[in-house]
Amino acid sequence: MIVEGTYPLPGTPVVIWDLLMDPEVLAKAMPGTKLLVRAAADRYEGVMRIGIGPITAAEFELVIALTDVLPPYSYAMQIDGKGRAGFTRGTAKVELVPEGAGSVMHYSADLQVGGKIAAVGQRLLDSVSKLLTRQGLEALNRELNHRLGGAPA
Amino acid sequence: MKPGRYFGERVLRLEDARLLTGRALFVDDVQLPGMLHAALLRSDEAHARIRSIDASAARSRRGIVAVYTAADLGAYWRPGPLLVPPPPISGLVFNTATQVPLARDKVRHAGEPLALVVAESRYLAEDALEDIVVDLEPLPAVTDLEAALLEGASLVHEQFGSNLAAHVHQHKGDYAVARAAAHAVIARRFHYDRGAAAAIENRGVVAQWDARAEELTLWDTTQAPIPIRNGLAALLGLRESQVRVIAPFIGGGFGPKIMMYYPEEVLLPWAAMRLGRPVKWIEDRRENFYATTQERGQVHDAELAVSKDGKILGVRDRFLHDTGAYDPYGLTVPINSQCTLLGPYVVPNYDSEFTAVFTNKPIVTPVRGAGRQHGVFVMERLLDFAARELGIDRVEIRRRNYIQPDAFPYDHEILFQDFRPLVYDSGNYPAALEQAVELIGYDSFVRQEQPRLRREGKHVGLGIVSYIEGTGIGPYEGARVTIEPSGSVRLATGVGTQGQGHFTTFAQIVAEVLGVEVDQVQVSTGDTREFTWGTGTFASRGAVVAGSACHAAALKVREKVLALAGPLLGVAAGELVLHGGRVQSSNLPDKGISLGELARKANPLRGAVTPGTEPGLEATAYFGPDRGNAASGVHAMIVEVDAETAAVTIKRYVVVHDCGTIINPMVVEAQVQGGVAHGIGNAFFEQLSFDENGQLRNASFMDYLLPTALDVPTVEMAHIETPSPLNPLGTKGVGEAGAIPTGAAFAQAVEDALAGSGVELTEIPLSPNRLFELLEAAKARGAA
Repeated sequence: MIVEGTYPLPGTPVVIWDLLMDPEVLAKAMPGTKLLVRAAADRYEGVMRIGIGPITAAEFELVIALTDVLPPYSYAMQIDGKGRAGFTRGTAKVELVPEGAGSVMHYSADLQVGGKIAAVGQRLLDSVSKLLTRQGLEALNRELNHRLGGAPA
Repeated sequence: MKPGRYFGERVLRLEDARLLTGRALFVDDVQLPGMLHAALLRSDEAHARIRSIDASAARSRRGIVAVYTAADLGAYWRPGPLLVPPPPISGLVFNTATQVPLARDKVRHAGEPLALVVAESRYLAEDALEDIVVDLEPLPAVTDLEAALLEGASLVHEQFGSNLAAHVHQHKGDYAVARAAAHAVIARRFHYDRGAAAAIENRGVVAQWDARAEELTLWDTTQAPIPIRNGLAALLGLRESQVRVIAPFIGGGFGPKIMMYYPEEVLLPWAAMRLGRPVKWIEDRRENFYATTQERGQVHDAELAVSKDGKILGVRDRFLHDTGAYDPYGLTVPINSQCTLLGPYVVPNYDSEFTAVFTNKPIVTPVRGAGRQHGVFVMERLLDFAARELGIDRVEIRRRNYIQPDAFPYDHEILFQDFRPLVYDSGNYPAALEQAVELIGYDSFVRQEQPRLRREGKHVGLGIVSYIEGTGIGPYEGARVTIEPSGSVRLATGVGTQGQGHFTTFAQIVAEVLGVEVDQVQVSTGDTREFTWGTGTFASRGAVVAGSACHAAALKVREKVLALAGPLLGVAAGELVLHGGRVQSSNLPDKGISLGELARKANPLRGAVTPGTEPGLEATAYFGPDRGNAASGVHAMIVEVDAETAAVTIKRYVVVHDCGTIINPMVVEAQVQGGVAHGIGNAFFEQLSFDENGQLRNASFMDYLLPTALDVPTVEMAHIETPSPLNPLGTKGVGEAGAIPTGAAFAQAVEDALAGSGVELTEIPLSPNRLFELLEAAKARGAA
């Protein structure tokens, strides 16, 4: 499964970068996240709960390892999620490109999905992943606006 | 056997009252005191090394009686048997890799079982599955047939050094010479994919060990109860007489239920013996998509060499066959494809070579048609393309190439799946074609109706194709017929029944021979205590092989009746007739006795049974045909295609088929109708969609589409009867006939409907989506 797109965000890459590295903000940017901790500088661990069609509230243990970190412009992720409803794993890449006063986020992920979610949730996977991505980015945007708005001009 | 009072008649099915009122026993109906329930943990990964399995948390859960992994099976863990060894074809390569009860070192397809949980209820068992911690190291999955054979491909079975499961080359004549002499050579690449059998009843097993009787009873949705009994006895160290396998009523078999031995069939008896309690497992629908065998894809690169007048000079075919993660069923499916491709045609030169390939997908074994449709599709499509290229009518090109009615037995000079030469016993192909042409109204459709409808903007098309179905193969089946003192007749046979109407057709044969009412014949099938010898229900062989055994046993009983009644009535045996449940002098009405009374006299409490004779009116007989026989037929259909949405409606469907002597036309017609439904599913609805990682993406009926009653027209049928000389009934099989040429007929009809669009159909299954894509691609080509 490929998820990719671009999303305009307010603020410079430096501002956004700090947010992206904050597990609390990241948890908001990943809908369904019940728990997310930064286990090491380049490693997040957590639990996600999502529903895909006939599979409701499936819990996944999530490990995200950061690679190729080039602050404040780009990083890649190794994603590994496992649960009773199946697994998902793959790589993702996030890139921040300054544009005007703000930035544009380029994101792409190549995820493999297996088990029950692949077997019976397949036809909803695309739309669910798009929905989750959009919700996540909107949450990030809100957080960013909130912080930028709250910060002195 | 000649038509009579019952034989050949439309006798209503005797089993239907039980089935329709819910009194028929299915495996899931079995309820035993103290019964436990099993669930299996199945791999999410398609290909992975097993690092560890920790079942300790599951074991300690309340209500869990036992959890077994491969390690717990000890010496009982062993790969299953090779069910069908490869036929003796020179140069053949076959790498044996059979399924295991629980994966031990590696997982080779998604859904392969890793652990068995036995609990007080299925609910608890499934909960406990979640407690088992499995650490798998994912490996790259092998899914594409061509990529699987490339150097450096990930290996499903490392010991073979490649993913090649088998390589077989069969040929007759000299294709190169034929090709050099040809007016035209039609070459194409074909993709033909099958799907799940999708029986209405999934698999199920109940195992019970009776420690006092020292007897194991297994209720099993198998098509082969006797081989299951034999295999389990050997595995468990029991005598065959200590194991009773009951295959009760089964809601559809279609092939996958002949597979042996499914992990559950091996694990449950073992668990029941260890735990001293009965254990039940019923497969759920999602499991069925992984845990039950299926049929899948082949890729053919084929070419047809033809003369200017459309005569077949030769065919060459190279194909790849997906056998899945293991190959316990040997080469039955690809050899069926290889042989059935020749169809009813004279093919003087044939060169066919196939490679079976291991992939990280569930195991492939026969599903109704069993590879025959792949072959039929390739040949029929090649003929269609040749006809178009040569400017010959598609019916005419078939007519010109048929094996003629006086050419039997006809030897194709290659080996069939039953290890016997592919020799057709009988048939009349031109007659079937002419009848189909007439029934579907070919001439008026092509000349008047189609042009008229096209002028109205409607895209209608017709498909008409031929096929052969090799049926009724050996080795043998048996039957025992007993006349009881009540006058009712008991008939026991070893084959299992999955809805084919055996309770009726077998009874018809026996009733005819013994002159009793058909409902006086009580049939028992699929219980190894009732009958202990046999192989199973497969290859459209029940009526042919078991039916002939029923016939032979009934004849032996009839001999006994005559031998006993003659002296008793003072009438010469030649003057006795069996009629109305009595044996009777043909000219002296008062000289007769009921069969029940005669049975009593044959089993006296005093006096003596004459030496050399046997008590009772009972006999057992066996029948094994020399080789399989060749059923055949023609399918024709008319379709309408919505050129905008690519939806296809089947307007009419005609089948003219020849299954030799017909025992019960209604049962035959039901088989054909059901087969056509399967075939339509294969042509336009059903497809197992695997991603490149070996994950099945549509393991539910929400996404795996089956045709419904709205999609399947009532088939208009006609029968041709060329009796088979290979059995006393003259009958041939019909179980798969409906499903075999459907894809080929569908492709021809849809292509005909879209004539002028540039669409050429070389693949099955199609779907509205796929057809739409092909239409768009053709449009783009046209515009370029």
